[in-house]
Amino acid sequence: MSTFIITTLNGVSYAFILFLLAAGFSLTFGVMGVLNLAHGALFVLGAYFGLAVVSQLDTLWLGIVVAAAGTGLVGLGIYYFFLRHLYGKIPEQAVLTIGLGYAFANIILWVWGPFAKMGMTPSAFTGVVRVGTLAFPIYRLVIIGIGLLVLVVLWWMQDRTRVGAIIRAGMDNKEMTRSLGINYGVVSTLVFLFGAALAGFAGIMGTPILGAYPSMGDGLLLLTLMVVVVGGTGFIQGTMLGALVIGLLDTFGKTYVPSVALFTSYAIFVAVLLVRPSGLIGRKVF
Amino acid sequence: MATPMRPAGFLVGRLTRKAVAAPVPAERGGATALLKAWLPAIVILALLLALPGIVPSYIQSLVTKMMIFALFGVSMNILWGYGGIPTFGHAAYFGFGGYVCGILIIQAGISNFWVNLLLVIVFTALLGAGLGIPAFRVYGVGASDNPIYFLLVTLAFGELLVRVAISARALTGGSTGLAGIPYPDLGIPGITINSHSFYFLVLGILTVCLILVYRLVNSHYGYALRGIHDNERRMQALGYNTWLYKYTSYIIAGAFGGVAGCLFAYFGGVMVPGNMGMAMTDIVFLIVILGSASVYFGPVIGAVAVVGIEYLASVYVPDRWPLIMGTIIVIAIMVIPKGVGVLLLDLWRRVFRGSAA
Repeated sequence: MSTFIITTLNGVSYAFILFLLAAGFSLTFGVMGVLNLAHGALFVLGAYFGLAVVSQLDTLWLGIVVAAAGTGLVGLGIYYFFLRHLYGKIPEQAVLTIGLGYAFANIILWVWGPFAKMGMTPSAFTGVVRVGTLAFPIYRLVIIGIGLLVLVVLWWMQDRTRVGAIIRAGMDNKEMTRSLGINYGVVSTLVFLFGAALAGFAGIMGTPILGAYPSMGDGLLLLTLMVVVVGGTGFIQGTMLGALVIGLLDTFGKTYVPSVALFTSYAIFVAVLLVRPSGLIGRKVF
Repeated sequence: MATPMRPAGFLVGRLTRKAVAAPVPAERGGATALLKAWLPAIVILALLLALPGIVPSYIQSLVTKMMIFALFGVSMNILWGYGGIPTFGHAAYFGFGGYVCGILIIQAGISNFWVNLLLVIVFTALLGAGLGIPAFRVYGVGASDNPIYFLLVTLAFGELLVRVAISARALTGGSTGLAGIPYPDLGIPGITINSHSFYFLVLGILTVCLILVYRLVNSHYGYALRGIHDNERRMQALGYNTWLYKYTSYIIAGAFGGVAGCLFAYFGGVMVPGNMGMAMTDIVFLIVILGSASVYFGPVIGAVAVVGIEYLASVYVPDRWPLIMGTIIVIAIMVIPKGVGVLLLDLWRRVFRGSAA
């Protein structure tokens, strides 16, 4: 029973890391229909940006700000110089951003070296919570808290703000949105910047649990795709659902059936794509 | 496959994928016209045959690699250039073919090249037949402008195979790969294949495959595929079973990709899981886009460029290849989206105005 509780908690906290990882991608892919397969590399870039600041200046808050702002700017560059000109050319977007992802990984390798870095858990969040005989690291609870916060903020933005309304309108009909006098180009640039910044934020928050090494972007990208596709595109709730499904399945699989755990999340991914390509909840892009 | 719809010319094929004009039938009896159209291909073949006598062995080995990737690119272009099907898992067939070949030799002890090649074709075709059914369920109809889920599912298949290769250690050697694949044994007394003669084997297979694929894409079948690319619903209205065309082209492209992978396994002597994954798919896509998806010989040009640059990078700036690859991708997509092949073809037509094509 205690294994079950701990596994559930681990699964949920992993799910929230996945949610943070996938939220930015979901925003740009599901809402704008732009495929940014450099998203995994942006996550790693955020982790390294943040760690560089934290190791030099020893302030976590500044590290988080630099991670988010740095990757946000990189994302802005990707959108402004490349993806903006490739609207609707999905295969070209994919080839370009996969290539950029490998280029970023190579730059990280060049600047910071090939060795894995472990993110330092901020001292306030080290230690464990004990309930009876169970012990659970505080940082994992912090991740759950931050994930919930981001979920609420994004949900609120999507449903209750003007920006959210514009984005939802653009999702339905870009031309009509434009003709209403809304500068959709600026809005989508900002959304893309925000999505990339979220990747950087997730990167620095995730390092104490996932670590950071130059080539990890590939695996992260696949996790992102699985979360977004399983959950459903276009709504932030879908991303959360996908993260929970993949996170819990993966964690339970590794605990109870380790021999096939590698494939459980892939199996559900392929199954969802076949049965409901638009995801468990959500709508088809385009 | 032989139809009167075959346009004249081997090198100088159709310029664009769009706007299928009424195909010009090859002039029967016009031997000189035919020779003129085929001349570039014959000259290149002659040069390639003479090459090992002229250049040092490392260049010969580089050209061998270029030829293998040329076949890989051409196989991919059946789907992307002709069918308009954006598969992001084509490396899966390349790597799978290589693994089948390596496993047959090392684990099963079957050393005969022809048996291996046949089995590679059979197994990659079976893989394509198996994965094609779910993949094209996702693809839908008229999806040339809506390929995003097909793209994701094929990408996932490739990465899934990478994971299988990593975990099936007993069979595949795990993440370090399957090493020690020897040069092929042709089973012909008196002929042994080494790094020198392997070049001619690859050249021979490439030539045969290029002719086969050329016949395929310029057959009735190939024109139906182009029609599906342009407007799938119209093709359906004309009575074509478009699903069958897409599905079979996926299997055929996979099998040719598998042949390329098999040659690559012999060439390098080692197969690693990454050969089936996203990075390899991106390289083959780059080869096709850089070389021109709309020109039959485009991927060949792309392969020469990409493999050549990769070699130069490995000599002068080792460890920076992904960065350089990213840069070439940016240039290829943002600066010359039509590809080098179209530029060269325009140049060719300007120089030999009216004499070719």
